[in-house]
Amino acid sequence: MSKASVIYDKFDRHSHAQGLKGHATHYCPGCGHGLAHKFLAEAIDELGVQDRTVAVSPVGCSVFLYYYFDVGNTQAAHGRAAVVALGHKFANPDSVVVSYQGDGDLASIGLAETIATAQLGAPITVIFINNAIYGMTGGQMAPTTLMGQNSSTSPSGRNISNGQPMKMAEIIAGLDGPIYVERVALYDAKQRIRAKKAIHKALRLQVEGRGYSFIEVLAECPTHLKMSPEETEMWVRDFMQPVFPLGVLKDMTVDPWFKRNPPSFDGNLILSLTGATYEHPVRHCEGFPTHLAPHDISLKLAGSGGDGAQTAAMLIARSAINEGFDATHIPSYGPESRGGTSYADVHVAAEEVLNPGSPNPQVLIAFNAPSLAKFGPTVRKGGVVIYDSTVVSEAPLLDPSIQVFPVPFTGIATDLGKAVVKNIVALGALQAATGIFPKETFLTAIRVALKDKCALIPLNEEAFAWGIKSVEALRP
Amino acid sequence: MALKERPKPFLLPEYCKGCGRCIDACAKDCISLSDQVNSLTGLVPVVLDLTNCNACGLCMDACPEPYGLRPAQEGPHQKFELEDPAKLFGVRPSDAPDPVDVPAQVLPLPATEPLVIKGTYASAIGAILAGCRHVYGYPITPSTEGAELMAKFLPKLDGTFIQAVSEVAAVNMMYGTAGAGLPTMTFTSSPGFSLMLEGVSYMIGSELPGVFVDVMRGGPGLGNIAPEQSDIKLACHGLGHGNTQAIVLAPSTPQEMLDLTILAFDLSFKYRNPVVILSDGYLGQMTGKVKLPDTLQKPGIPKWAVYGDAEHRRNVISSIYLTESDLEAHNVHLNSKYEAMGSEVRAEAYLCDDADVVLVACNTPARTAKGAVQELRHQGVKAGLFRPITLWPFPIEALRAALEGATRLVVVEASAGQLEDEVRLALSRAGVRDYPEIESVRRMGGILPQQDEITTRVLGRKGVLA
Repeated sequence: MSKASVIYDKFDRHSHAQGLKGHATHYCPGCGHGLAHKFLAEAIDELGVQDRTVAVSPVGCSVFLYYYFDVGNTQAAHGRAAVVALGHKFANPDSVVVSYQGDGDLASIGLAETIATAQLGAPITVIFINNAIYGMTGGQMAPTTLMGQNSSTSPSGRNISNGQPMKMAEIIAGLDGPIYVERVALYDAKQRIRAKKAIHKALRLQVEGRGYSFIEVLAECPTHLKMSPEETEMWVRDFMQPVFPLGVLKDMTVDPWFKRNPPSFDGNLILSLTGATYEHPVRHCEGFPTHLAPHDISLKLAGSGGDGAQTAAMLIARSAINEGFDATHIPSYGPESRGGTSYADVHVAAEEVLNPGSPNPQVLIAFNAPSLAKFGPTVRKGGVVIYDSTVVSEAPLLDPSIQVFPVPFTGIATDLGKAVVKNIVALGALQAATGIFPKETFLTAIRVALKDKCALIPLNEEAFAWGIKSVEALRP
Repeated sequence: MALKERPKPFLLPEYCKGCGRCIDACAKDCISLSDQVNSLTGLVPVVLDLTNCNACGLCMDACPEPYGLRPAQEGPHQKFELEDPAKLFGVRPSDAPDPVDVPAQVLPLPATEPLVIKGTYASAIGAILAGCRHVYGYPITPSTEGAELMAKFLPKLDGTFIQAVSEVAAVNMMYGTAGAGLPTMTFTSSPGFSLMLEGVSYMIGSELPGVFVDVMRGGPGLGNIAPEQSDIKLACHGLGHGNTQAIVLAPSTPQEMLDLTILAFDLSFKYRNPVVILSDGYLGQMTGKVKLPDTLQKPGIPKWAVYGDAEHRRNVISSIYLTESDLEAHNVHLNSKYEAMGSEVRAEAYLCDDADVVLVACNTPARTAKGAVQELRHQGVKAGLFRPITLWPFPIEALRAALEGATRLVVVEASAGQLEDEVRLALSRAGVRDYPEIESVRRMGGILPQQDEITTRVLGRKGVLA
């Protein structure tokens, strides 16, 4: 077979292509890698994709794949070649990416990457060289070592306590992602022809954008099997093959699907995704609400997940920033996804929020009794506490300097027909109880937040108004 | 029909390793092992007797060596002995063109009102504006919102977000995309960052850019999901195995999460090295005011990339240098980059000019410390805050200036002294011997130092009140 033009004219080995090493591979006599390399190189040649090909070398004997292939080359960490290949494929969907891996790399340390990549199904080509032994590290047990086979880490033969050999082609073929899985061998002329065809097809399916393919090659490692190359061929035929049967394990007909537009760098599109607004919001504040604090107002909203404490906190922060102030909001949640604690620390500052936590807030909005009991006593003297009187029957005793506003957030919201607007009732109550910002400031923030759900705006406006009314009714 | 003439095999014995796979492939028994060792290779090659050869080609198919058995009429190497060895042995020849630099472009971004977004979102938007369209990640609290925003935005920008099977897979997808020369990033948090470090070492070794946003949380082990400055040591001195360093940026506001993410991409490509952004659990979740820049970037393809096209076919991305002297030279090169990164130091000195007491803090604790400085000044103590923005390289000259005239140095941190170690190391390396005894305000486990803890520490020592 003539040398494919994809194979370099000179091998830039660690000898820097000096001497004979410039034309001889680093593989041991009789090693199967050389044949797999030739078949892969021929397939690249035949498909005319040399310029587009990126070969990912693994860790193992074929770590130096890049010595030989005149294509784009990347050398990956041990076991990670398949995901490195994905990184290349997604970066340039037109590239033709080959992940070439041995049994330790693919079937042991990289198992998670191997399986996940196969299941993802993006069109890359994985060439798996299975020689039933660790080559580069010197003859240790591989995940594919046969039962009874000696290796330096299974010196009396692999036995049941070492587990049984991994049948990767079967595992990969059992996944939904791959479209083509075949196991081939190199031990005689017939098998070599099949292997060459399989590798060609696996690469072609990628070039055509059809999907992921996986070729397992039963290869010879005479050195570590401690046999002659010829004996090793016979060993693969007589001992490996019964455990790893040859043939096509999966071959799906799939229309080309992997086509991607080049990424967009359209500034306006990015801005629209972020929800950025172009117009300066109308300001309603005369100045910073210094009647609450000279520079920095600290608030806490506390409830359980689903109460809307975080949304209300966001709306306060948004309102403050619309008015030209600085604001921060820090959420904190319990481990539960729903129903656990949900606290929000909010700061509004004239210039810059320096300390964004609210261990001693001036204003507390409590959505339930535990929150009120927990944070009520932390409120500063002269502060404000607003709580949901629908769910809190008895308020704890607080410092007499603190103004307390029991407002039936839940009751009002339920009467309005949607319990979820109780946080907006709470915001109305906050506005009336503290005068932190004018009503319109809050309403603007609420309308902007609901700009994609306009139908909900009147309900939220009503909830907000009811919050205000409830506080006003509490005043003498 | 003319019979197509098929070539018979040809072999230069120097390229034969004598494996003999061709021997049993030949039905005509034309091939046998020589009885002599080749003096150049020390191996026993096969010898061909082509008297009975029918040019079936099976021997050539069986030969694992690219320059082993080849068709007889092929190629210049047949005349091996007649060629000038200098022409034959040298650097790897390839007909691929010389790699080219496809330059990045800066595009205008229309002006908008500030966004009100959380830190992780700010970082994600920063990455998008820096041209990043490839994000790989694994969900981990408290960093996940960054990945979630990318999962939502990137498909609309024809970009790629992949939720990887693990952090190990995520960082190696980054390795692939970075190898192709494109900007890529991930969001993670402390335990996930630990897992990524293998890949970070490979990226540094292979000189690949990439941005890691680590929203630090309480450790060790599973720890908790509350904020801790738990990975300063890891980011500054433990980026996987080998001689590794990366610029480490420490934002303290959502605005800086955006600004420093954009900067991180610039630095990452400038030095062909990863950049780490250490955020904390508070800052990642914290919502604040974020102004957008007036430009965005469209990445190019750097000269060194393996993009998968003719222009970049020559390139190799690799961190393996088998020959010791080659690897030493590579490390010398990396060191020269690390040294050059020294010019990227950034710090904020707040009221340090006349300060008697200099607080040192970064991330969210720096905000609290700033509040403490104001409070202390209010109480008549000349306090100042020194905030390193680059933790590695440490802005030692700026710290030196801030300490001019200071009598106290208080490191405020949410860790067991990891920031203090950076301060001590930087002072030591700079040969600064004369500095105030280092005092500390430390919280751990997900608790941040509070303003009153800082002021109490400062005021608690007699004789400091002005």
